[in-house]
Amino acid sequence: MKDNLDEYRRKLLKQSISASTLALVAASGLMAPRILLAHWPQDAFNAETLEDAILTFLGEAEEVNEEAIQFTIGSPPTYAVNGASVPVEISSSLENIQRVALLVEKNPFPLAMALEPTSVVSFPFKTMLKVAEDSEIIAMVRADGKLYRTSRYVEIDIGGCA
Amino acid sequence: MTTNSRDRIRAKLLEGNTLIRILLSHPMHTGRGKNEQEELIPAEFIQDIRCWRNQEEVLTVKCGTATSRNPYFAFQLKGGEIGDTISLRWVDNLGGKGTTETKVV
Repeated sequence: MKDNLDEYRRKLLKQSISASTLALVAASGLMAPRILLAHWPQDAFNAETLEDAILTFLGEAEEVNEEAIQFTIGSPPTYAVNGASVPVEISSSLENIQRVALLVEKNPFPLAMALEPTSVVSFPFKTMLKVAEDSEIIAMVRADGKLYRTSRYVEIDIGGCA
Repeated sequence: MTTNSRDRIRAKLLEGNTLIRILLSHPMHTGRGKNEQEELIPAEFIQDIRCWRNQEEVLTVKCGTATSRNPYFAFQLKGGEIGDTISLRWVDNLGGKGTTETKVV
């Protein structure tokens, strides 16, 4: 009986130790980058719906669907064979651009990229994104307190979000 | 976690503006991909990229997991002269860092 109890106690001890070390590792491993990167908009990038991502990152503003931003996707445009790298190009005639967000509607986390240009940056801006499946790709620009939105539909042969 | 020298940056004067092209060397794991043993590869992706011209900060790019492997960016800066220093720093979600710089030609 006594041996049994001892064993039980030992087991408990072991478990509590491993639990506390795990907690320590988690704290040091996961918290550190978060502190370092306090300016990385975690909530916006982890938002799972389009609306949440837009609202968290760009805030509320009057939304204008305008031709002031030109936007091309894929090569050839609107059809991208490989979803792992879909070329995206944004150009805009707007001045005072504060923020640009690129969103892929069907991705697990819609917010793909966010730019904070200063006044010396001039567009076009080109980059490549991963797109999981056929989806609407949205570019949103915040300039002078207004939100400009434009979107393109892109077809994907091979999903690229692995 | 070491400084990666395979990052490439090119800056060129083009009709009075500076054209900058950047190609970083990074696997950009989303945390959903699997290796050959069907095990999940932990997330490892660049979160924050900052770009300077001489001492002036000109652009911040924040990336989510949906940025392609070996991220590519191209954009222009208004004005500029031959010999300007364009420098760049990136940080990933695990604290990995990289810097690279070039002179405008």
